[in-house]
Amino acid sequence: MTRFLVRLYPTRWQARYGDEFEALLEERPLGPFDVADIVLSAIDARIRPHGSAAANDHTRGVLMTLRIGGAAAVVGGVLWLVSLAGASVIQGPDGQPWQALFILALAALLVAMIGLSADPGRQQPGLVWAAVAIPIVGAAISAVGMLGMAVVGDAPFLLGASPWEIWILGTIAMIIGSGLFALASLRARGVSRAGAILLVIGAVAALPLLFGVAYSDGPGDAGSIIALLGIVAFAGGWVWLGISAIRTDRSGGLAQREALP
Amino acid sequence: MTRIPEFGRFAEPALLILVSLSEGPKHGYAIMTDVEAGYGRPMGPGTLYAALARLEERGLIEALEPVDRRRPYRLTAVGATVLEEQLQDLAGFARLGLQRLRGSLG
Repeated sequence: MTRFLVRLYPTRWQARYGDEFEALLEERPLGPFDVADIVLSAIDARIRPHGSAAANDHTRGVLMTLRIGGAAAVVGGVLWLVSLAGASVIQGPDGQPWQALFILALAALLVAMIGLSADPGRQQPGLVWAAVAIPIVGAAISAVGMLGMAVVGDAPFLLGASPWEIWILGTIAMIIGSGLFALASLRARGVSRAGAILLVIGAVAALPLLFGVAYSDGPGDAGSIIALLGIVAFAGGWVWLGISAIRTDRSGGLAQREALP
Repeated sequence: MTRIPEFGRFAEPALLILVSLSEGPKHGYAIMTDVEAGYGRPMGPGTLYAALARLEERGLIEALEPVDRRRPYRLTAVGATVLEEQLQDLAGFARLGLQRLRGSLG
């Protein structure tokens, strides 16, 4: 138990404090309060920047924002893929739990956009504002759609549209917003260009499928394969961007960020 | 100069640790028991080490050679200055609050 708790901390922290921390934990019985305290502190240690790169408060704040945004991007990308894959494989009577998981993915990706917008936001403020605002509106629309599913099921709900159609509008908004965010990121130094390119490709490839599912009979077989690859690329792009942001202070990327006008 | 409020949610634990170390070097477990005895509230081990790491990073405390895996920490000169300033600020704030309270009651 003690060793497991110590391993929750990052490797660098373990190298410095692990031995004495483990000795401390062995000296007294651990209660639920202590375990919760250690878990929260381990999370703090993982997102808190260390070392010379974090020498001043401004840099520290930027790094912290990047790490939170990066973690949200990884979580959002994974949840996005898991919820869509789950919904297509296991179809429950009311779409649960995949819709709730999907809303969580939307929320995480919104946090990611805000957290990772430091560089693109300075260079492309209009584009980044649009990239964030469109998914926020979309998330609200999706929430209305979920409410409709609970109230009327598949029956027409709002302006003749079914709750499903309303809900998927939120997804489309997130893809459009992510595509705009990736375009803005491509022009900013310090952000993973490969991740941004993957995100743009994913957004462009996935959009036709979602429009087709919601408003027509759907694309053909070839279109479906391309769109499915697009959805995977979309999720992969966010995960890639997230990992590159989390690793920024290790790769020296912050120096580039700080040097920006 | 570093100010303890910059430690965010670890500001209060950091202050308690500095006060504990002001009477001499202590290792983590001794700090915890001292703070709990003097302050009457438990300090979790995670919180203790999160605050210790911040204090050490800012040069307010320094680690000594470990003894049986227990590593003592002691206040640095900068740490003593910061602690004194912080305690004087708190004392001034407490005086002001008490004056106003007595004024409103009297």
